[in-house]
Amino acid sequence: MKQHISALMDGELFDDEAEELFDRLKANPEAQEEWRMYHLISDALYQPGRLRADISKTMRDRLQAEPTVLAPRRTATHSARWFALSAAASVLAISLVAWLSMEIGSDSMPQMATAQQLATLQTASLHLNTNLPSNNGLNDYLMAHQEFSPSINVQGAASYMRTMARQ
Amino acid sequence: MDDREVDQQLVERAQRGDKHAFELLIIKYQRRLARLISRFVRDGAEVEDVTQEAFIKAYRALPGFRGESAFYTWLYRIGINTAKNYLLAFKRRVPTTTIIDSDEAENFEEASLLREVDTPENELMSKQVVNVVNSSLLQLPDDLRIALSLREIEGLSYEEIADVMNCPIGTVRSRIFRAREVIAENLRPLLGTNSDNRW
Repeated sequence: MKQHISALMDGELFDDEAEELFDRLKANPEAQEEWRMYHLISDALYQPGRLRADISKTMRDRLQAEPTVLAPRRTATHSARWFALSAAASVLAISLVAWLSMEIGSDSMPQMATAQQLATLQTASLHLNTNLPSNNGLNDYLMAHQEFSPSINVQGAASYMRTMARQ
Repeated sequence: MDDREVDQQLVERAQRGDKHAFELLIIKYQRRLARLISRFVRDGAEVEDVTQEAFIKAYRALPGFRGESAFYTWLYRIGINTAKNYLLAFKRRVPTTTIIDSDEAENFEEASLLREVDTPENELMSKQVVNVVNSSLLQLPDDLRIALSLREIEGLSYEEIADVMNCPIGTVRSRIFRAREVIAENLRPLLGTNSDNRW
């Protein structure tokens, strides 16, 4: 375990190894003394001019008197949540735009079609009322001129049958 | 994981209510923080008080630490502010030579330290510890001494040391550990094992 403590203070352990070692350091006072000793050596090498006494034991008592701090985790979960929220907002926005455009399209097109149909019908109706003879006269006219019809024979027969059925 | 990630893991543990994790951070940074504070405060006992106060402030502020900067940068900033507030509270002038950024605080020159006043006992103990560590380092076999020096003094990673020493990373890890153990063995008689040991 000592070798792991040495590697941990150098930042040379994997995450899961470090987590495990933190638990062992918490449970084992001797292991914590090693952590303390290796840092004293490190400080002596790093700051050879002046070394200060250890205050960690005093600080332990002071920390015990402090209310325990608790903070929400802000790691990968945080960014993942933001990513998910952003994606959901984007999808929602696209869906809204698509739905709105479909709604506008489906409302306006029938209106346009209705208006066009109405205009056509009015024109046709006007044309029929003014230029064509009455219904009975029309049938007689068609019967009399059937042989001049450009349609094929079957179509001519069908037209004849429709005319006769109405009568 | 690197050194900063080790700190971040400890911070997250402390943020979940693990005070012991914060104690490990105190052990790690206490002397570097005290060294920084000694640029503002001259008396050794006051340096210790301000250092403790800075750690308590940092602990209370932990819920607001989001890991956007390194923990030590954040801690040093708290240390600088605590020292300045301490001087202002006693209507003392903040030394003009101590306008430093917390990012570079770790690397300031020893020569720029204030002439610190400390107890003779602390001064003696400090010198003895440094002497034992340095003499132990010099007596180490070459491979152990070079590995530990490259790590502690030059700040190289295990991978970089492995390249320099032309050996596997596992060997580097073992050499550094063995070097520390030899020095620790030489230090233990000096430090003693009594519970009131302050070193």
